[in-house]
Amino acid sequence: MGIEWERIIELWPEIQVAFYQTLIMIGISLGVALVIGLPLGILLFITDRGLFWENRPVNSVIGFVVNIVRSIPFIILLVALIPLTQLITGTTIGPVAASVSLSVAAIPFFARIVETALRDIDKGVIEAAIAVGATPWMIIKDVLLPEAKASLIQGITLTVISLIAYSAMAGVVGGGGIGDLAIRFGYYRYDNTIMIVTVVILIVLVQLIQQAGDFTAKKLDKR
Amino acid sequence: MIQIEQLSKTYQTKHGTVKGVDDVTLEVKTGEIFGIVGYSGAGKSSLIRCINLLERPTSGTVKVGGQDLTKLRGDGLRKARLKIGMIFQHFYLISQKTVAENISFALRAAGTPSKNIGPRVDELLEMVGLSDKRGVYPAQLSGGQKQRVGIARALANEPAVLLCDEATSALDPNTTLSILRLLKDINRKLNITIVLITHEMNVVKEICDRMAVMQSGRVIEEGRVYDIFADPKTALTKEFISSVVSFNVPEEILKKCDGTIVKVLFKGEVAGDGIISDMLQSYPVKGNFLHGAIEYIQELPLGIFVMELKGSQTDVGQAIHYLEQREAIVEVIDHGN
Repeated sequence: MGIEWERIIELWPEIQVAFYQTLIMIGISLGVALVIGLPLGILLFITDRGLFWENRPVNSVIGFVVNIVRSIPFIILLVALIPLTQLITGTTIGPVAASVSLSVAAIPFFARIVETALRDIDKGVIEAAIAVGATPWMIIKDVLLPEAKASLIQGITLTVISLIAYSAMAGVVGGGGIGDLAIRFGYYRYDNTIMIVTVVILIVLVQLIQQAGDFTAKKLDKR
Repeated sequence: MIQIEQLSKTYQTKHGTVKGVDDVTLEVKTGEIFGIVGYSGAGKSSLIRCINLLERPTSGTVKVGGQDLTKLRGDGLRKARLKIGMIFQHFYLISQKTVAENISFALRAAGTPSKNIGPRVDELLEMVGLSDKRGVYPAQLSGGQKQRVGIARALANEPAVLLCDEATSALDPNTTLSILRLLKDINRKLNITIVLITHEMNVVKEICDRMAVMQSGRVIEEGRVYDIFADPKTALTKEFISSVVSFNVPEEILKKCDGTIVKVLFKGEVAGDGIISDMLQSYPVKGNFLHGAIEYIQELPLGIFVMELKGSQTDVGQAIHYLEQREAIVEVIDHGN
């Protein structure tokens, strides 16, 4: 199983398109996960027992929904959400369409990561902020988010890498992307060259994201 | 300033209900430094946390400046807390924010106009002696410095009351002393009422005007620090006092003594040694000093002597009676042979 360089050159345009599609899928779903998952994770944390917005019903309902979405295998979610995808994007094919299911999967995933990151904050710091007379909004903005900053960045890294893995399945609904390319050419057509190239691209991508995440988290942490 | 009435706090645990605070009634006057001592688990931490309602009492009321805090919730309670500063054993600063940002956080909580925040932060930093640490992160500070930032944060909104939850327990003795001096200074300059809880009796001895001793959620003794040091009523209080003023004579020495061993205590301005020499001249008894010192509690002297009195039983009895007439407190430790 040697690598045929001509084959790489031949398929290079296709690889580029796939790479671009992967970026779109991850960009959109990460954006949605941040915008919806972050507040959801914060809500999960502050409505929990003994915290300043303690609210058992809200906490249980959000926790339950999050768990349900997280229990559904992604491949099933992908198919099950085809009607929703059609409704939102007007199509069921392509990276943007695939982003809908990816987002739905990423939101609860990231919400739990946010919740865990916030749980690691020393309760005393939150209590000191309450004692000082801070508003809930101030506590979220000036205590919770800054104190969890480093773990949140690690969490985003984890989410992006998981999304790369999930996005490989997007091919099932014609989403495209690098992972899909690997499956279509490498797995179905025994095209080792393309499989190796795409896997190498994915390895490099994951490595880079991990390192960038670690670096940023460390850089921003003032402890 | 602070009225705690019939306050109880119970906790639900796996093993049933636990009484953290059990029917405590206390009053802290404006401008005084009030110390609450007790071992861990005595309920002192729960009690102080009930004062600013970090913990909501199960029953009873807490009034600060005449306002019943237990009636408040939400934003009303938040606003009341602006006027009750609090510092903690582990400081609890926001680790990702600079010293100045930690203090301005408190100012912003009170809605301070942003143009006033900078100057006020400078003022507070100067008061706690950290003007050069404005832009530094807490991780770069020593324990004492972190507590100073805690104090600056707690005082930011000019509170009437400062609660100190084991504020010096994580600090070394020298740093403890400097923090205590700072607290005393603040108390005098700003006339802030301070309530502190501690398990270290020397903290109380150093700065408190009045104190309470807690055991199993109850206040078992309360009064002026000087009076309690001079004349502790309960075994626990005695134990706490002996941790800072110890007058234990070694067993070996006591065995060799065949006279009556007495502990003599002189309060305030009474010159103890003079009275003892008067006694020795007036009665045919011999006296040996075994231990003695004059302790200063809040600048008031408290003379304590342990001595052996030799002579006939009647003479020794009369000598002791004489000391008591001269306002000494005499405790016979051993009647001798």
